[in-house]
Parts: sequence; structure tokens; C-alpha cells
Amino acid sequence: MSGLGKLGGRAWLVTAAALLVLLMVNAVLQPNFLEPSVIQSNLTTFLPLVLVAIGQTYVILGGDIDLSVGAIVALVNVVTVTVIAALGGEGTAVIVGLLVGMGVGAGSGLVNGLIIAGLRFQPIVTTFATSIVFSGLALWVLPQAGMPVPEPYWRTYAGTILGVPTVYVIYLLAFLLAAFLAARPFMIRLKAVGGLRTAAFQTGLDLGRLRVSAFALSGLYAAFASLCLTGETASGDPLMGQTLAMSAISAVVLGGTALAGGVGGALGSVLGAWVVGMIGSVIFFAGLPFEYQTLVQGLIILAALAGGVLVTRR
Amino acid sequence: MQPILRARDISKSFGAVRALEKARLTVERGEIHALLGANGCGKSTLCKIIAGTVALDSGEVLIDGEAAALGSPRLAEEQGVALFYQELSLVPQLSLGENIFLGREPRNALGFTDRAAIQCETEALIARVAAVAGTGFTPDARVSDLSPDQRQLAEILKVLARKPKIIIFDEATATLDRRQVEVFFDILRELKAEGVSSIFISHRMDEVFAIADRITVMRNGETVAEFSAAETDRYAVVYAMVGETGAIAASVRDHEPLEGDARLVVDGVRSTRLGPVSFVAKRGEILGLGGLQGQGQKALLSGLFGAEPFHVGRVTLDDVDVTARRPADAIAHRIAYVSGDRGRDSALPGRSILENTAIASLVREKRHVIPGAQFRERFADVLTGLNTRYAGLDAPIGSLSGGNQQKVFISRWLSPAPGLLLLDDPTKGIDLGAKGDFYLLARKLADEGATVIIYSSEDSELLSLCDRVLVLNGGVITADLQGDRLTPFELTRASYGDAA
Repeated sequence: MSGLGKLGGRAWLVTAAALLVLLMVNAVLQPNFLEPSVIQSNLTTFLPLVLVAIGQTYVILGGDIDLSVGAIVALVNVVTVTVIAALGGEGTAVIVGLLVGMGVGAGSGLVNGLIIAGLRFQPIVTTFATSIVFSGLALWVLPQAGMPVPEPYWRTYAGTILGVPTVYVIYLLAFLLAAFLAARPFMIRLKAVGGLRTAAFQTGLDLGRLRVSAFALSGLYAAFASLCLTGETASGDPLMGQTLAMSAISAVVLGGTALAGGVGGALGSVLGAWVVGMIGSVIFFAGLPFEYQTLVQGLIILAALAGGVLVTRR
Repeated sequence: MQPILRARDISKSFGAVRALEKARLTVERGEIHALLGANGCGKSTLCKIIAGTVALDSGEVLIDGEAAALGSPRLAEEQGVALFYQELSLVPQLSLGENIFLGREPRNALGFTDRAAIQCETEALIARVAAVAGTGFTPDARVSDLSPDQRQLAEILKVLARKPKIIIFDEATATLDRRQVEVFFDILRELKAEGVSSIFISHRMDEVFAIADRITVMRNGETVAEFSAAETDRYAVVYAMVGETGAIAASVRDHEPLEGDARLVVDGVRSTRLGPVSFVAKRGEILGLGGLQGQGQKALLSGLFGAEPFHVGRVTLDDVDVTARRPADAIAHRIAYVSGDRGRDSALPGRSILENTAIASLVREKRHVIPGAQFRERFADVLTGLNTRYAGLDAPIGSLSGGNQQKVFISRWLSPAPGLLLLDDPTKGIDLGAKGDFYLLARKLADEGATVIIYSSEDSELLSLCDRVLVLNGGVITADLQGDRLTPFELTRASYGDAA
């Protein structure tokens, strides 16, 4: 027990070890696993989950939770493809579409945050409700899947920028933004809000602003994820990303961020997201039915939660 | 020269309760000012108003001669007021350095947190208390790993780091040992030399006279006296706290010492903020727990009931070991507990009066199926005996007034009669008439053979009801008042750790 306790905020080390084991198992099961093209294809598959998980980390660190990220992904997707189509599908239309998409994501997060921090609603119930609202809006904007995005969009996503695969550039930018936030006082204050809300208040922190910022970041990262998914599917889908919210929360917890808030970080969530992705990959290459993935993922999250309880109880 | 702080005509009500009535407080520059008074006199409320965590109803606060806007802790801090909190303001998950600079982190040119500066400035602060801080008190130590006294030192350092003009220390020395208190006093004197003023609230009269320059005494929400510490003595200060009527009033009951042997024996019990505590109580005795609020009285009661079990020690009732690990153990030994926090600790909200009455018996008898008629009769009798007015046994508990609810919650323990009845500030928020009924009921139960232990935040309640009062201070018993010594004056004096 005390051994686990000493890990404290470094629970992500366990996740890193788990990831290493999964990588080795997968390398055995899949002979070409370490070829650059396969690595890139795997990282491309995991990217949306990684992005949503990074965003979710801020909300959970602040002691809240965001169940609406999956619905935000769908809403951003249909708004973006609709805007691009409406503007004629040229280069500028794509850029406007991307910007509008990010705005919709951040705006949806802002709405969550304002309702929760401003009106003092329960985050779990509120974001469950807003997820239904966002899904409804997505269906209203685009009732059926379809409406392809122009070729430059998905070609760029699958291609390279200055010789570097676009997916890697997005990883880099996402890491830079996360590193930037981690180095700001914002991160310490957010942990304080999630750690002990009364103490954060007595110290004079602006709790409302910090919590709203976390939700807005979660919405923004969900928008990034959505735009990446759009690059992959190359079309609009109002039902996109439905499993992302739960998978992202799993990834955050696996990454060592305490569900109660106050402890953790985005880097751990990235590792957690890769672990969740690799579980699926290993199950596939082991020849097990795909349905096992959900079961195994559930059991692993349960184990991670139990570990978290042991660490905090000591 | 202007006083640094002048609070005038401060009034504040919480609902129907008047907490402050034209209170005043004047603190000079570079002065250590003690603020004293019995429980509920309003000293904490006044401090919270000055620190911006409570809004005032009327009156004004002048800082440096100018009207101060004190809407929030942050605004107060900007005007140079810092409040020392008892642990409340530390985030356990963050490091010591992060906590000390939380909300005002040093930044580098790019706007990033300057970790090196936090480390370095925290080390400089730690150096001031290094001699008494013990091991592990480093800038990157997590606060959850610190001991209670180290956390209190951390709170002190956090206040100092804000470089305030006025610091309010509310019970800042509660968990410090003697050497740590000395160091803390040295820091106060250094601050004084720098022109910083301190408002000092303590439950130890020794400390007050060791450090304070001036003393303001409050009673019933009013400021009643201001002294220069050098020109007064403890007697005069306690006299001011109690008031003329309180000092000469004879105790309300004639407190004849009870016959009989010790029945409840509490031997060396100890929990986080309590102990070691040992005492005995007799059959039919009403034993009060006195002292200022938060000195371990509630911890003692919930420990006896097993809600927050003692870490060590032994409790026997009628020579049977009744040391409880959980409430079910206590209930099995006919120990009853009635809390003043009815909503949180007692009520089954929305359920009927019958269900609220029967619940304890159901637990004790391990009943899972309830035979209606038989139970109904049994508890109807109990409730009738309490003189409770109710529309019917099936009426929801919420339809009763607070006083009548409390009678129902006592009645749950009366079938069969309890051997030990624990009352935790039971008349909180109950009107006077119902309080009178409640006292009669407690006395009746004691006369029928129960031992009653009561904690009350109102001294007058203890004085009128109890045969004997144990005064707690800092988690230990500091006085055992009975007979002639059970007077308001002695109780207040003992609460401040000044018992002869």
C-alpha cells in the first residue's frame, strides 16, 4: 500500500509500463508492427482519442467531468462540412470551415462551463444533458451522413507538411499547446480548484473563470479531434464520435489523473489514450472477436479506478 | 497617526440570529491586538468581515483612514488584509511552494510559472521556522504528507508571503507545540517591528498576555471593553467576557454531588484532534462538555458513538467494554446519540414520523420485516410520553418544527431506555419553549438511570442543565467544574485555559 502511495502523482509511470507491454505483445502478434507506415497508421487512428483525452484532462483536474465531448465532435464535424460546402469548397472555404469548427467546439465547452460554474449545476448531469442537445443540433444541421469534404482537405490530412506527415505535425502542435498550458500558473490554480475547492476560494482564486476555461479547452480539443476525424472519413456524420467521451475519460484515468481532481496531467492522458487504442489493436491481431475490446477496456478501467482508490486511501 | 484598522458600528445577522450589533475594533499600526470573548460572541464573524469572506449588513471598515471595500477575500488581500486559516486554505495535492504562492505565482518573461523562484522564495520563508519545522518541510513536499503542526506553519508562511499590513490569526497556535509557539511569537514581534499589525485570537490566556499589546473583549455581538495588556489582569478580562450579571449569577440548579459509583469509565482515549482524555461518569449524571468551540468536544462524542472511532483507549459502561469501532457497536450497547445537526445526522427526510422513530430499534433488533400494528403501538406510546404534537404517525418528519423533530430523534433511542445518551449541541436552532421541554426530558432520562453527556455551544445551557462540566481546551480536559465552581465566571476562565 505504501509503495503505491509513494507513486503519488506519478501513476502514469504504471501506464507507461503497461503501454510498453502492449507494444511488445502487439509486435509479436503483428510482424510488420514496427514499420514506419504501420506506426503512422496506428498513431493516426489514435489521434482523435488523444486530443479529446488531453482536453478532458483539464476538466477532470478541475474537479468536474465532461460527458458531452463526443456530441461536440459530431456537431463540429457537421458544422464544418456544411460551412465548407456552403462557401463553395475552395481553399479559403476550408480554412473558414476549420475556424468555424474550432469556434463551435470552444463555444460548446463555454456553454457547459457557464451552466456548471455560473448556475452551479452538477457537471455530470449537465454535460449529459448538453450532449443530447449538441447531438440534436448536429442532426438538425445535417440529418443524414454524407456531404463529402473537398479533396485538398483529406489529401493534406493524409499527406505531409514540409515533408513531415500532417498527423505528426498535429501531434506536435497539440503537445506544444499542452506544454504551454502546463507551464502557466493556470495549471497550478486548476489543480487547486480540483484539489480542495474551499481552499482555492479562501486563497482568492477565481473559481468560476478557471472552471469555465477548462470546459472551453475541452470543447476546443474536441473540435481538433473532430477535424482530424473529418480528415479521415472525408464526409459529414451527425453520429460521429459517440464512444469518444467514455474512452477519453478512461484514457485520462489510466493516465494517472485522479477522477476527484487535483492530481495529474495531459502527458499521462496521452499515454492513457494510446493504451486504450493499443488494447483494441492487440485484441484484433490476437484474433479475438472485436466485442472483447469493450469488455477488456471496461475491466482495465475498473482496475485503474481501484488503483486510484488504493493510492488515495493509504 | 491614523490607526491602521478601524471597524465601526458593524452589524450582521444570519437569518433571525444577530451575530454582531454595532461592534467595533481599532488596531494601531505595528500592534499585536488580542480579540477575546466567549463562544458565539461574534469575534470570528467580525474577523471574517474584515477578511472579506462574510459581507456586513451595516457599519464601516476603515483601513489607513479610508473606507475599505471588502467584498471578497481577494479584495481584502489587495488592501493588505490577510486571514490565517486553520488548514482550510491549503490544497493537499499541491506542494508546499505551490500552496504558498497559489494565486500569485512568480512568472518569468514569457509568462510561465517561475519554478526556480518559487523554490528559492519558499526556502527563504522556510528558513524562518527551520529550527522547529521538523523533517520533510521542503518546498516540493506535498501538503498531504505534512503533519498537522507543519501544515499550520505552512499556513503562517503563506500569510507572510503575501506581505500584508494586517494579519488576522484565528487560533493560529492550536496545533503548535511550545517551541513552535515561541518561534511564531518571534515572527509576530519581527512583523511588529516592520510596522505590520496582527489581530490575535487564541484560546490560551497565557499566550494572550505573553504577546498582546492591547485587548478587545466582545460579548453577545458587541464590543464591551478595550484594555492595554500591560495595565490590566486576567481577572478583569474574564470579568469583561462574562459580564456583571454572569459573574455574580448563582448557578441555576443546586448542583448536589451525586451519590453512587462511576459507571462510565473513559480511559485514555485519543483520536486525531483529541486526547488523551480520561474521565468517569455516574448513573443519573448529566455531564457537560464545555470550552470554546472546536476543542475536541464533538470528537469525543462521535468517538464514544463509534462514528469517528478512537485510535487508542478504552471505554467501559457498567464494567462492559463498549469501545465502539462503528455506530452499530455503540447501538448494541444501548448508547444513544442525538446531534444538533438534524438534517445531516438524524432525519430520514421525507419518511414518516413512525419510520423516523423506529429506525434505531430496527437496527438494534436487526429486523428486516416490520410487523406494522405492534410497532405502531409501541412507538405511539413512546411519542405520547414526550408530549409531542403531531398530525399522525404517518405524517412526514418535515411537517414537525425543529424542536418536535428533535424529540422524535430522542424517542428513537427510548425503547428500551439508553444507558448512555450523547447529546451533541442538541438544541441548535430550536426555539426557547422547545428547549425547556428538551431539558426536562434529558433530566427525566437521567433520573431514570441514564448517564447523559452533553456538548453545547451555549455556556448557559451547560450551566443550567449539568451536574458537572468538563472543560476541553486543545483536545484535552483542562478543568472539572462542579458544585460551587460551576459558575459562568469559572467556565469562561477555564475555557481560556486559565483555571486555578
